[in-house]
Amino acid sequence: MTWSWIPQNGALIWQLTRENLYLGVVPALIGLVISLPVGILAARWRWFYPPMLALFNILYAIPSLALFIALIPAFGLTDTTVIIALTIFSLCVILPNVVAGLRQVPASVKQAATAMGYGPVRRLATVELPLAVPVIFAGLRIAVVAGISLASIGQLIGVSSLGYLFIDGLQRSFPTEIWVGVVLIVVLALACDLILVAIRRVLTPWTAARS
Amino acid sequence: MITFEAVTKRYPDGTVAVDDLSLVVPDGQIVVLVGPSGCGKTTSLRMINRLIDPSEGKILLDGTDIRTRPPAQLRRGIGYVIQQTGLFPHRTIEDNIATVPVLNGVGRGQARARARELISQVGLDENLARRYPHQLSGGQQQRVGVARALAADPPVLLMDEPFSAVDPVVRASLQDQLLSLQAELHKTIVMVTHDIEEAIKLGDTVALFHPHGTLAQVAPPQQLLAAPADDYVAGFVGFDRGIRRLSFVPTGGLQLSPAPAVPADTTVTQARAAGHPWIVVTDAASGAPRGWIETARLEAVSGETLLGQAGTEPLGRSFVAGTDSLRAALDAAVLSPAGQAVAVDEAGRVVGTASFDQLRAAIQAETAAEQAAAELRQAEPSP
Repeated sequence: MTWSWIPQNGALIWQLTRENLYLGVVPALIGLVISLPVGILAARWRWFYPPMLALFNILYAIPSLALFIALIPAFGLTDTTVIIALTIFSLCVILPNVVAGLRQVPASVKQAATAMGYGPVRRLATVELPLAVPVIFAGLRIAVVAGISLASIGQLIGVSSLGYLFIDGLQRSFPTEIWVGVVLIVVLALACDLILVAIRRVLTPWTAARS
Repeated sequence: MITFEAVTKRYPDGTVAVDDLSLVVPDGQIVVLVGPSGCGKTTSLRMINRLIDPSEGKILLDGTDIRTRPPAQLRRGIGYVIQQTGLFPHRTIEDNIATVPVLNGVGRGQARARARELISQVGLDENLARRYPHQLSGGQQQRVGVARALAADPPVLLMDEPFSAVDPVVRASLQDQLLSLQAELHKTIVMVTHDIEEAIKLGDTVALFHPHGTLAQVAPPQQLLAAPADDYVAGFVGFDRGIRRLSFVPTGGLQLSPAPAVPADTTVTQARAAGHPWIVVTDAASGAPRGWIETARLEAVSGETLLGQAGTEPLGRSFVAGTDSLRAALDAAVLSPAGQAVAVDEAGRVVGTASFDQLRAAIQAETAAEQAAAELRQAEPSP
């Protein structure tokens, strides 16, 4: 390890970290925004879900680098290509959790809500979705952590991220740079995960209460 | 008042859940729908708040066809309690109870204040207001379910096996709580249960279903026990319906004999002199019965011994004359080593005893009266 390399390249490391964070988190958030309506429909109409899930599973099976390359003709060597590809991956983990989260709301709770005079939209917004939050967040956490790690692959098509440190370090046979990249990705992923756990705790106070 | 007019529920696969049901639920009464599983009792209940719509016939609420009212508005005027409680896991107890008032536009603060009143009214500690449902026991959750159903003060309450998932001791206390609430609130209650005991205990009227969605008998519980319409009803009601019917017969008409009661601070010599074959030993201060003693056994005891030290046989139980039922009196006689039921007054003092002969006379008098009433009912059939 050449420790002195780190402060000398502080500005570069900070910039790459921010770019990696952006590329990792934004696709998960877009995935969440898409998964919510699709998941709500899938939870309501049972026939809608199996074909949807099959489609996303096939997309999930495509190697990420291959997906980047497939998107290049349309979007070029840009952030957009990486964000689209990672959004598709995030859908594969978030959508099933939205559906599972909505489906695990006990039938008795839904029936009681209806019997008390909730309309379908109000019931969804104030009873079903809040109760699905823990499961949805479990999917979101996986998507964010995986996204931060996968974003580094974008470097292979020239989209800047902490992946730069791997490639540059490899070419220059300079392990310090590679180690810094690995550690930062892990730290970034853990930090985001902790933030999500904290948000979930705030959103679901009932799960923390003890008997 | 809730009126079922020739209501049938048929599912697309041809299953008939409810078959041509006509039934009236009068205001302020508890009507219990009871029957084996699959008899259509729950379907009938859920048609009242339109969770299920009938295929044929109609249901009137205070004379108005319920289909003319928007479902959500209709439902906010009908309390609903279910076995699984259906409490919202993500809301505190007070917010669960405040649900319908808040839906109706009542401010949250006011709705919570009302919720806290209800928490005590259903027999819970107000400290539970800020807890979540999973932090409560099953019995407590069920009380919250009742409180939530009552929150907007709806005239009608639907209860679907509300007490089936709790243990017998808790169930009995929930049932008693419901009866005392009902004595105060006079709601129109339709309850579903598979437990005939519960139906008999709670119902002003019991509607007993056949297995496939038709009614076998609709009658007050004592009549169901005394005069089952057919073998099916008699079988469902149970083998000891003759004795259970006595729960509804007061002991006011029961002849009592003067009790062979002797205070515990009497000496054995004096007690023997009284000449009773059995003696009820009473507490010297309160007059409450403590147990039985057979005079013949006192021969072996020193004459100076106080009766209280002579060793009594357990009383079994006593009954409150005029308040308790004939069933309680009969039970007391069966449990008594002397074969006599000890009657006490409201203060617990011994007032007399009843022998099996006296009990039999009271039962026969009641049966004769019931038969006369049944003949009267047949002479002028109800509308």
